[in-house]
Amino acid sequence: MPEPILEFNVRLDRGSFLLQTELKLEQPVVGLFGPSGSGKSTLLGILAGTIKPDRGRIIVNGRCLLDTAHNTYVPIHQRRVGLVFQDSKLFPHLSVKRNLEYGFNLLSETDKRFSFNHIVDLLELQPLLQQRPNQLSGGEKQRVALGRALLAAPELLLLDEPMASLDERLKSQILPFLRRVKEQIGVPMIYVSHSINEILDLTQQLAVIHNGAILAHGDFHEIVTTDKVLSLANSLGLDNVLDVELVEKNAELGYCVAKCADNLLLLPHTDAPIGNNVSVVIPAANIALSRKKINGISIQNQIPGTVTAIRTVVNHRALVTIDVGSILIAEISAKALHDMEIKLNDQVYCLVKTQAIRYFGKSD
Amino acid sequence: MEFLQFTPDEIAALLLSIKVALWCTVATCIPGVFIGWLLARKDFVGKSLLDSLVHLPLVLPPVVPGYLLLILLGNQGLLGKWLHETLGISVAFTWVGAVIASAVMALPLMVRAVRLAVIQVDSGLEAAARTLGADGLWVFFTVTLPLSLPGILTGLILAFSRSLGEFGATITFVGNVEGETRTLPLAIYTYTQMPGGDVQALRLVILSIILALVALFASELMERRAIRLLGNKVPYA
Repeated sequence: MPEPILEFNVRLDRGSFLLQTELKLEQPVVGLFGPSGSGKSTLLGILAGTIKPDRGRIIVNGRCLLDTAHNTYVPIHQRRVGLVFQDSKLFPHLSVKRNLEYGFNLLSETDKRFSFNHIVDLLELQPLLQQRPNQLSGGEKQRVALGRALLAAPELLLLDEPMASLDERLKSQILPFLRRVKEQIGVPMIYVSHSINEILDLTQQLAVIHNGAILAHGDFHEIVTTDKVLSLANSLGLDNVLDVELVEKNAELGYCVAKCADNLLLLPHTDAPIGNNVSVVIPAANIALSRKKINGISIQNQIPGTVTAIRTVVNHRALVTIDVGSILIAEISAKALHDMEIKLNDQVYCLVKTQAIRYFGKSD
Repeated sequence: MEFLQFTPDEIAALLLSIKVALWCTVATCIPGVFIGWLLARKDFVGKSLLDSLVHLPLVLPPVVPGYLLLILLGNQGLLGKWLHETLGISVAFTWVGAVIASAVMALPLMVRAVRLAVIQVDSGLEAAARTLGADGLWVFFTVTLPLSLPGILTGLILAFSRSLGEFGATITFVGNVEGETRTLPLAIYTYTQMPGGDVQALRLVILSIILALVALFASELMERRAIRLLGNKVPYA
């Protein structure tokens, strides 16, 4: 068993909010997923050292950063825990180059892990070096912030919703670079987001945090079906994510056909070439169920599958898990569930409008 | 323009004013920045007491701080007696005393400007600097200080101007000694008390106005430069 990259057990009581959580992570890149107010940022602050927990222990790569039982408290600047903020926090009075050098120049030669040029090339920062942060786009800012954090040679890199303030177009400017960092730089990362899609763009490994506690962690496909996570599916904004292969495109009518397990899906048109694997999202609420295949209906996708789980959740909603070769979760009303008398192992068709399917990221 | 032919006395008053104001600015700079930063960023026991003490000269009649300085630092004063007898240092009735008097009066203005400027510096930037490996002192000098520079400059200009206008505390503490503590306001006051001194008083008034305008213009210039240095953004607007 590999040594855990990060191990912590911390408690912080703020009266109205209690964060009490422990986790042992062995995967190099993990997504920390939870709705707003779940304690994600607080947890990151505790790991980085900007927030002091009431008690606990934090061990990164075998190095103890915090142990309240033994009065160990490594100050922020000695932790070597990098933090990329949602709003980049670039120093406005310094050029991009000086921003990048800020942590780098504080390291002794032996502590430097990457050469300056390596990171500049990797993140394609060369053309930006002489600019000021206020001249950069949101995506560029985040790239610089990422480079700045990496150059400080962190043993753990925390990314606090680095794409939350970016629109889709800008996200596509930073995501490929995050992937590059993941693949080419051996720095363990925790990527925090309230959007499961964003995390899945980067990794399938995730931990789910809710109300200050880690509910589950592991592979996405395994943990979304655990009771604790599924019962929160709604508040977590859980969507179905499918990896599909494009097999046909029709630009004129604006659709694509993709293969998903044994089924064919009709998708909105995309620029990705045929043969590519893409990830698509289907919100659970956009899937309707039917006992029979329906003819003469505008809904193009009717995917057959077997009901593997049924759970009722708040607001008279029910979540039905269907095995269609991969797992789909459909959110229907409790009344529909009752009227249709859906039971485990029933055969049903999942009806999905083409336009209800979204692409995210660009799969490799 | 015979009217603007200044006498050596008047020039002396002008130069003394500038000298005292410059030294007052220098003297308030470091304590002003430190106390301003302390009040903006730190929580500690006695914070409100420090806050009140620093601000007292702003709300008291200037004669009061002047008189307190006399009690403290005068040649018969609590500290002044010891300074005078053991070290031979005497600030009473000297221009150094005038600097001390105006520094005490100017400090609250400096502290207020710095505190406001530091509060406006995003503490997230300081946190970012710390995660990048900078210790507290380094963060202060590389992030907090440069980003609050326009505010600090404002504070220094205010201190300079306050010193130029200082009257009550100065005359109470160091008197009105020609060539030593008779700054412009004291000289104007002196002339208005003299029969036939009106013309001279008026000339000094004009001189004061010119000096004030130059100071304001210089401050505007410096502040613009500082803002440009920070990337066209006013960090505390």
